[in-house]
Amino acid sequence: MLSEEYLVQQAVNGNQAAFTQLYNQNFDRIHRYIYIKVRDRAEAEDLTQDVFIRALESISSYKWRDLPFAAWLFKIAHNRVIDHVRKRSKEKRAPLEEAYAKSVEDPIQMTERDYEVYQLKAALEQLPEAQRDVATLRFIGQLSIAEVARTLGKSEGTVKALQFNATASLRKVLYGKLDG
Amino acid sequence: MARKLDDIFNECYERIRSGESLESCLRSYPQHRAELEPLLKTTFDIGRRVSYIQPRPEFKHWARVRLESGQRYPRQETPAETPAASTWWRHSWAVAVSIGIVLLLTTGSTMAASSQALPDQPLYPVKLATEQVRLAIAVSDTQKAQVQTELVQARSAEVEAMANADKMEEAAKAADRLNDQLEQATLAIAKVEGTESQPPVYVPPSETTPPAVTTPPEVTTPPEVTAPPEVTTTLAVTTPPEVAKPPTTATTDNVTAAKTKHWKGSLEQSTISSLTALKDAKEKASQEAKPDWQKAIDTISKKNPPAQDTGEHNAQSDNNTTPSPVSPSYNRHSSPNWHSNDR
Repeated sequence: MLSEEYLVQQAVNGNQAAFTQLYNQNFDRIHRYIYIKVRDRAEAEDLTQDVFIRALESISSYKWRDLPFAAWLFKIAHNRVIDHVRKRSKEKRAPLEEAYAKSVEDPIQMTERDYEVYQLKAALEQLPEAQRDVATLRFIGQLSIAEVARTLGKSEGTVKALQFNATASLRKVLYGKLDG
Repeated sequence: MARKLDDIFNECYERIRSGESLESCLRSYPQHRAELEPLLKTTFDIGRRVSYIQPRPEFKHWARVRLESGQRYPRQETPAETPAASTWWRHSWAVAVSIGIVLLLTTGSTMAASSQALPDQPLYPVKLATEQVRLAIAVSDTQKAQVQTELVQARSAEVEAMANADKMEEAAKAADRLNDQLEQATLAIAKVEGTESQPPVYVPPSETTPPAVTTPPEVTTPPEVTAPPEVTTTLAVTTPPEVAKPPTTATTDNVTAAKTKHWKGSLEQSTISSLTALKDAKEKASQEAKPDWQKAIDTISKKNPPAQDTGEHNAQSDNNTTPSPVSPSYNRHSSPNWHSNDR
């Protein structure tokens, strides 16, 4: 299997197949990351497409030594989500429940699976921003501690602490339990 | 100096992701078991929920097709003249369908020409757009399954053409497209059969749930996280248990059963033909190119192992490339490999 660094180098040099392979490797997790941060599927799909378009447009200027590729991609996604949420906050914002319900035809028929994802989204929304950012990149985006640290511009020690606190907070919000 | 708990927690999380059991990690830090265990179980539960988030297959497919088209045919307009990329993408679905409709109504010759277009030809995007029109105007589930099956045949023909022309990169992309199309066709056929996958039963979190989380890391490892819903979404087309049907529906059921059997046979044949062409191309390829051909073969064979052997072609090919003689994916039902409710 080709290393990610090699693929990235090929993509930077204009190799289409290499970029497509990187796209295939990262598409699902970028989509998951965005989906958990926005209100519904349509917004997530728009933003996911935007992220890869932007990545394609700027891949030629990407430098591996500055940021690992996955972290670079998530940084684009992170910035796109922030821009999107900022714009959205200027609009009259529907409550999360309402927005989510709109994404399915009949809330009564909402599957248990959707409900569990919804619970997770709602729980993440209740976290302090720094914890939420780390939890989303780490548990949903599946980035390493080092990649999260590079993406957010924090030290690895800080990221570990935030990850620990975020997990405890999520546990409390999801199950209403306090440990320790 | 004692290690910080957040550092130990992170170590355990990573170890479990790498394949260790929860218990094994907890044994390393017995003094922290009480704090670590519930938190690590919480990460498993998060991973399980996250695994349910999957892009719609058609969205994923079209996003990639458009990206590839964009790479192949870069836009020439200046930035000032070009709408934002995001806008172009956002509306591209509608644009593709509109183009298809316009072509359908106005330029029959172009349409006819595009129907035979191959992935390395300029009319190929037109062909894809036209296919979307066909799908859009297919009203019933039966019509949709029929069209989806025909599209599998088209994708398969493209794989064969690219393989026969020794165009490895295009063949690999065509194999990817075939894979996606097989998923969509399988879903469409499942819908006709009324055997779409059901979501897992929700079990409220409870401390009393048995803590037997011995093999959870798959859930938090990216490839495995992706796997369960994909399997349940795209492959869960198990033939339902035999249920006695009212006599009045027997004829209709027989017709439906015959159709679905025919479609599945067609998917199977397309898979075999494509694999055969790719394997032949691999045989003829240079040593350096063989691994790349193998990857294209794996793209199809790992997700869609054909039910029957491809005869002499398989006999000639690498053992590693020969799909296992298991049931075809179109009849296969798989469950997520991790269902623990431990939290």
